[in-house]
Amino acid sequence: MSVLAVEGLTVSAKQAAVLRDLSFEVAPGKVVGLVGESGAGKSMIGRVLAGTLPPGFAVTAGSVRFQGADLVAADPRARRRALGDRLTFIPQEPLTALDPLMTVAAQFGEHLQRLGMPRSGRRGAMRAALAAVELDPARVLERYPFQLSGGMCQRVLIAMAFVSNPALVVADEPTTALDVSTQMRIIALIRTLQRDHATGLLFITHDLRLAAHVCDEIIVLYAGEAVEHGPAAAVMGEPRHPYAASLKASIPPVDGPLHRLVPLADTMPGIARFASLPGCRFAPRCPVRDATCAAAPPPAIAIAPRHTVRAAGACLSASGAAAAIPMPPAPPPGAGPPVLELRDAAKHYPARRNLIGLRHGPGTTAVAGASLTVRPGEFVGIVGESGSGKSTLARLVMGLEAPTAGRILVDGADVTVGDAAARSVRLGALQMVFQDPQSALNPRRSVWRLVTQAMEAARARLGTGTRAGPARPSRAGRRERAATLLAETGLPADLLDRFPAELSGGQKQRVNIARALCLAPRLLVADEIVSGLDVSVQAQILNLLHTLRDELGIGLLLISHDLGVVRYVCSRVVVMRHGEIVEEGPVEAVFRDPQHPYTRMLLASIPPDDATLPWPRESDVASAAAA
Amino acid sequence: MLLVALRILFFRLLVAVPTLIAVSALVFVILRLLPADPAAMSLPPGATAEDLARLRAALGLDRSIPEQYLIWLGDLLSGDFGISIYFRRPVADLVSTALPNTLELVLSGLLLGVIVGVAGGLLMFRARGGRGEEALDVVSSAMMSIPEFLWALLLILAFGVAVPLLPFIGRMAPGMMTPPGVTGFLLLDSLIAGRLDVFFSLLLHLVLPAVALAIALAPLIMRVLRASLVEVAGDDFVTQARLRGLSEQRILFAHTLPNAALPTISLIGVQAGFMFGGTVLVEVIFGYPGLGNLIVDAVRNHDLPVIQLVALVYCVLVLAINAAVEVIYLLVNPRLRTH
Repeated sequence: MSVLAVEGLTVSAKQAAVLRDLSFEVAPGKVVGLVGESGAGKSMIGRVLAGTLPPGFAVTAGSVRFQGADLVAADPRARRRALGDRLTFIPQEPLTALDPLMTVAAQFGEHLQRLGMPRSGRRGAMRAALAAVELDPARVLERYPFQLSGGMCQRVLIAMAFVSNPALVVADEPTTALDVSTQMRIIALIRTLQRDHATGLLFITHDLRLAAHVCDEIIVLYAGEAVEHGPAAAVMGEPRHPYAASLKASIPPVDGPLHRLVPLADTMPGIARFASLPGCRFAPRCPVRDATCAAAPPPAIAIAPRHTVRAAGACLSASGAAAAIPMPPAPPPGAGPPVLELRDAAKHYPARRNLIGLRHGPGTTAVAGASLTVRPGEFVGIVGESGSGKSTLARLVMGLEAPTAGRILVDGADVTVGDAAARSVRLGALQMVFQDPQSALNPRRSVWRLVTQAMEAARARLGTGTRAGPARPSRAGRRERAATLLAETGLPADLLDRFPAELSGGQKQRVNIARALCLAPRLLVADEIVSGLDVSVQAQILNLLHTLRDELGIGLLLISHDLGVVRYVCSRVVVMRHGEIVEEGPVEAVFRDPQHPYTRMLLASIPPDDATLPWPRESDVASAAAA
Repeated sequence: MLLVALRILFFRLLVAVPTLIAVSALVFVILRLLPADPAAMSLPPGATAEDLARLRAALGLDRSIPEQYLIWLGDLLSGDFGISIYFRRPVADLVSTALPNTLELVLSGLLLGVIVGVAGGLLMFRARGGRGEEALDVVSSAMMSIPEFLWALLLILAFGVAVPLLPFIGRMAPGMMTPPGVTGFLLLDSLIAGRLDVFFSLLLHLVLPAVALAIALAPLIMRVLRASLVEVAGDDFVTQARLRGLSEQRILFAHTLPNAALPTISLIGVQAGFMFGGTVLVEVIFGYPGLGNLIVDAVRNHDLPVIQLVALVYCVLVLAINAAVEVIYLLVNPRLRTH
């Protein structure tokens, strides 16, 4: 008998079905993956299970049976008894999912008390559970969450989720907030525990590639509907639904031949638009739609045993056929001196002062003697995990921090000392694109004023003789420049007078990039500019970067934790670890034949595109643990 | 943990010394620059200019201001707080009688304000989104928008005059003897002396002034606590606690409230400092023999030694409260303890 049986589940809010007619089962010891971009409704199922639907949302049709008992009809007390006991959850943000004022022992103990364990047994149970997730109980128990790393917090939460030997564990993006090597180790751990306890696992993620390796079965969700449901290897290997196929085609691969990503245009409709989409909700973006698609929801067609696709006949025959366009080789970098050169640049932060102003401890070295050149029109990627110093490096380049040693040259001019002259050289040549467009764009400014913001300050730099702009840019002049920038970044001109709140996430990031392009810099410094975006929007932005290089000849210093993104965008890659550059070289050479063990470990941490390859491999997990 | 608290306290004291010196100098200089001559006021109407000069010399008022200040500071450090010009008694005696009364009043007001504020904040949080919240909102706005001296008068009218339930003048019933001073705190002393009648009389006389002070504090705590509760209730760890099947009661008191209390504790620290200022008018209105009444009398009579010392005592009290709140904050917030 299955642990969880969801049958025709429909969750509605304000007349619109947020989840429409969803059916699946989780058998003991099996892993079912729910894959979708943000807003697809994948987290709604966890909320139905926990009974924590937001106000205004309700289950309007179908049933959810957990161990044979109807969860939707169950009274809250009965449901609560199952929570944390037979039905447990692993959260997305381990660092904030633990009470910051309580030690691990206090909250774990509280959980055991809730499970009815007598006080005398709790200490031993905690030690055993923590040891099972490869934590040292002596080091962890009396610590507060802020004293632990994200990976350690997640291990604590996993230990708590498995301590009651649950029938079903719901893991909602359990590794999204973690570094790739930590992700690999956490996945290996969850899989081991789940297999050993024959626990059913509902694995919710935005990452199709990851799901393909973790799950036995995958359900691809789009706008609240399961568009494809089948064995993981089949769905990843040859997705049959046009959306699932395009989702796969949007992922920049870390291995195999590189093709141009073919992202879908536009974005997934939000809840507000569901009511106006009575038929196939994917139809407006579907490359093979016809007149019948918008009329009624397409049926779920079984195309193989345990493999269904919600599609009309036309989609099935067409999908998977999109011709792969091989990536053209990157143009050679331009002549002339490097736009940017770092010579042994270092940043050391002294230890904090105590109450009487004395420093104790050696402080931290964020960047230890990094040397790097970026030639005109060159795309260079910096990869590394959190704490590797890659963001500090970007701040040094931009002059937001002063290096404690070494030199920084822009266009051959020394800008190490951040005086007015250096500032002017920098502003003429470099611009930064910030990670989070949501907070980087002033919400009170319209798009045209945002993207031409730099022209307001251009006047101040007039006398320095670098790049003379008009003394006071006219409104008409600014609007004209703004229109050009929007066109360059693939935004429609009618956005000129909109405000950030009226834009989608992808549009905001395009505006963010357009703003950096305003004064025609020769090098963009971009820190994790796609990490907050869904893969299809990410692919759009990555292609935009290539277009900018081809049309404007601009260079790029791309900081990213995502190796696939760097491989797709850049021609040269720099691998950082603990503030040091451990490896550097042409992207393809480094990815094909990494020299440094750390680079090898990083690459091994990424799930391969081929779902039939084993991942995570034990030897890689072991070497990641040792690193 | 205790060690950390003590260390913080020690450093706070270290920082307090220059603050106190600065405040005392400021008060001293300003008082000397006022166009008032305490010597002239304390002489009978028929006194001659020579009498005045003689008295000024005797009081040290003929010397330069820095000189006077240093003499005063030196005396202060050797334990000599001077003689009141108006009361003709040692300033130390006056302050040591008044200070415990004011402390009893402030502590009762604080305690009452915190209890009502926290309870109100929890109620508002529980009633959020409903009719109850609006009602509590109106009540707390009304409490907040009326200043404490007006509350004092309203309370006297309501519970002293219209429905005479509570005494509203003085520290205890007329004719009662002050219990022998052991601690200086009358409530404690009456208990030590076994005089329960005196104790209850003291307590009853404390009610209205303490309520007047608490009314100003409680709505602020209510609002800040409500806002933090709402914020913390949306945090991941609260969701996660719910997903572990903890009861709502347990989630509120074991997780949400302790985390939401942090900003409230800072607020209480700031407000406690203001409360000493609030006692002045409240004490005058209730004829309560504390520092407030003492300093009002002293100001009215240009009693410089008394003003100087009371000002300094107020300063010490505010610094002490701040240090105490900081230590409490530290004890409840592990993030601040470990570095």
